[in-house]
Amino acid sequence: MNAVDATDRAATQEEVEAPSLLTIILDTNPHAWALLADSLPLSKAVANLLVFINAHLAINYANRVAVVVSHSERAEWLYPTPADATLEQAHSNGDGENGNRAGTGGAVQPPDDANKYRPFAQLEYAIMTNLQRLMCTTTPAAISSAPSTMLAGALTRALAYISKQSASTNPTTTATTHFNYSDPSSVAGGNSLNPSDDTTTTSRSNQRLTTRILIVSVSGDLAETYIELMNAIFACQRLSIPIDVLKLAGDPTFLQQAADTTNGIYLSLSNPLARAGMLQYLMFAFLPDAAARERLVMPGEGEGVDFRAACFCHKRVVDIGFVCSICLSIFCEPLADGTCLLCGSHLSMANYGQKPVVVARPKKKGKKKRVVDGGVETPGSGRETPAPG
Amino acid sequence: MASDQEFDDQSDEEESGVRDGRRRTMTSRPKDRGQARWEEAANRNWELQEGADGSIEGVLGGLEEASKRKRYYSWNWCGRLGLLLKDTTPLQRGIIRHTLLVFDISSAMNEKDLRPTRHLLTINYTIMFVREFFEQNPISQLGILGMREGLAIRVSDMSGNPNDHIAALKLLRATEPKGNPSLQNALDMARAALYHTPSHGTREVVVVLGALLSSDPGDIHDTIKVCVRDRIRVRIIGLAARMHICAEICRKTNGGDESYYSVAVDEVDYRQQLMSITTPPVLRATDTEAQKQNQAALLMMGFPSRIVEEKPTLCACHGNLTRGGYLCSRCKAKVCNLPATCPTCDLTLILSTHLARSYHHLFPLRNWVEVPWSRARQKGSTQCFGCLSSFPAVPAQYDGGNGGEHGKARARTKRAEGASESSRYECETCGSHFCIDCDVTCHEVLHNCPGCQSRGHVGGEEGAVVGG
Repeated sequence: MNAVDATDRAATQEEVEAPSLLTIILDTNPHAWALLADSLPLSKAVANLLVFINAHLAINYANRVAVVVSHSERAEWLYPTPADATLEQAHSNGDGENGNRAGTGGAVQPPDDANKYRPFAQLEYAIMTNLQRLMCTTTPAAISSAPSTMLAGALTRALAYISKQSASTNPTTTATTHFNYSDPSSVAGGNSLNPSDDTTTTSRSNQRLTTRILIVSVSGDLAETYIELMNAIFACQRLSIPIDVLKLAGDPTFLQQAADTTNGIYLSLSNPLARAGMLQYLMFAFLPDAAARERLVMPGEGEGVDFRAACFCHKRVVDIGFVCSICLSIFCEPLADGTCLLCGSHLSMANYGQKPVVVARPKKKGKKKRVVDGGVETPGSGRETPAPG
Repeated sequence: MASDQEFDDQSDEEESGVRDGRRRTMTSRPKDRGQARWEEAANRNWELQEGADGSIEGVLGGLEEASKRKRYYSWNWCGRLGLLLKDTTPLQRGIIRHTLLVFDISSAMNEKDLRPTRHLLTINYTIMFVREFFEQNPISQLGILGMREGLAIRVSDMSGNPNDHIAALKLLRATEPKGNPSLQNALDMARAALYHTPSHGTREVVVVLGALLSSDPGDIHDTIKVCVRDRIRVRIIGLAARMHICAEICRKTNGGDESYYSVAVDEVDYRQQLMSITTPPVLRATDTEAQKQNQAALLMMGFPSRIVEEKPTLCACHGNLTRGGYLCSRCKAKVCNLPATCPTCDLTLILSTHLARSYHHLFPLRNWVEVPWSRARQKGSTQCFGCLSSFPAVPAQYDGGNGGEHGKARARTKRAEGASESSRYECETCGSHFCIDCDVTCHEVLHNCPGCQSRGHVGGEEGAVVGG
């Protein structure tokens, strides 16, 4: 069939780039944005973000985008518009026929503008409308009660959406490192038994939806939702979803670790001059997708990552911590009474400064006591690893 | 469904054997069940009933949803045919695990009832198991033994690096299974390997037994007694049939719990059982032995940071020239990757993310319940909260909201066990509705509920515990 008109149609399909889904999580913590109001107000940041989204959509016609906002007491979808918002929109506009569509952002109609590329116009209108609705429905009580942001919630919602989108566009599951949760035979690390199998084969890339997450963050303290945030980060690692982080303000805390664990990019804009160039940072660092990143020198590679943990009792950053073996909580110093603060279990405290085993102990009567609790106990059991005295 | 066909063949033989005019009576079955257990699990396509609108689409969707949910809910038989959902009460679990995997490399593993042969399939599954094990339990250690020709052989030593084990397993593919297995020798060698492990970790042995015998040099009951004294917990997966000695070993070492011995029915079941071992075992509070010897200890661990150097330096673990790595918090020796034990001062070095990886075992996500049509109507949910995909609309017959219609309504649309009739699943804490795919994702991969996380301070999530 191909030989009839002397064209080779099969070759063209492999040159098409893989579609990419970019999910943006925008942190709209009102307290933090208020502090940045003189150098980078929220309106300007959103405008920069819209230009960035348009650029992402323009690169490949099949690219998609999703935007979640992480507010002080809830996490909401900005794009695609959720169904409840569509209904409210329709009622407020008096537009009856759009009200019944449980759609994904299609029912919010932008005003007609002949000079604007329609997908851009639609997206911009949806995002601005939903953001305005979010701000209008925020009560002062909500802001004062929750000083931080719901980043874990936004990340979880984004991940659920991404999983669904990936599963519906990737029917093939053989020999991929993506963990397909609905396939009973898949496992972390991929089904292929050869660990050196690199599955970024170009022949498959045109069917696969590559996904990544970009977090624009301004908040610092995320300690309350530590477990949920870590669960989400490990899920991203399992699904091979890079998390890129653009930090405008606040402590790095866990986002630097998140970017490092998932092979994402971490950029911190610490002074007002850098923040003014936010669009340039977005375009140069975060626009290339996974395939392009292999061929470019990406920023943020040359720095070390701070992995030290924070202790649970004082929130101090520790180098050497004491870990409860039951609940894995970290403490900065040996506990006074031997009871774990979190799980309440009694912990046997070893002598952390004991002499190393090579030094012969003088034989004392007290040595007999150690044999009482079980004659087959190993010589070192129940005791800590020997430390240099 | 190859295994179903095998069972069908057996029943045919049985019937032809009795064919002398008598119909087969029910006396060969237990009195309280009209059907055999395998018959209930068999797929009967001819019995599907149409839904109210005349199509079987709803019923087929229900079957699919039920099978998805079944995969991650563990089947827990309690005498009668019952499905208990996965235990999601927060329990104390052994997070720091020292596990020994014991293979059967006897001549019974040459059987081809699990394709390609039992031996090769076991090795393939074990490679996946090793990866998953270290992903779920990053601070644990694993070792592998084999039983061949009446001896126990060492396949790989106890270590925390998955690549060692995978390389050793690949070499094992070339070994031909031969001889008889010996449970006693394997348990003795396992006991020796676990002798030096510290008491705050768990000591587990997992045996995969394909043969129906065990040729031991001495009395295996003595070995069992010593294992109980050493607090070793043995778990056996049988591939052929149930053996009394295996049940006894598992029962005695686990304090009377019968559920640690199971026989795999087919490849899928075998794989599921092997993968379920990656979940940390439950430490029983009623175990007086464990309470007497206080297992919990406060461990000193270092949390190094990663450094990037301009000039390459030698690493302490291999002696290679590398430009980056982690510096031990106590003695500043450089190691290549974590988790590791510092070669100089023997301090356990880990990242806080390794500990965080085990948190979802300690604080599991509660199961979501199926939503009947009446509740769907009440809540008015049209989209899945997680992925924004639309739900099937509530049929008109339920719009009346009449409570008395309940019984009739149930009889009309019967979906498969375990699937929700409205395709909605609700989280009881936050009340949001989700689709089946989000249900599976959130329980298997994410371990977070999107609804609870997105509505601040409404649900009573366990996340508040950590903040203290």
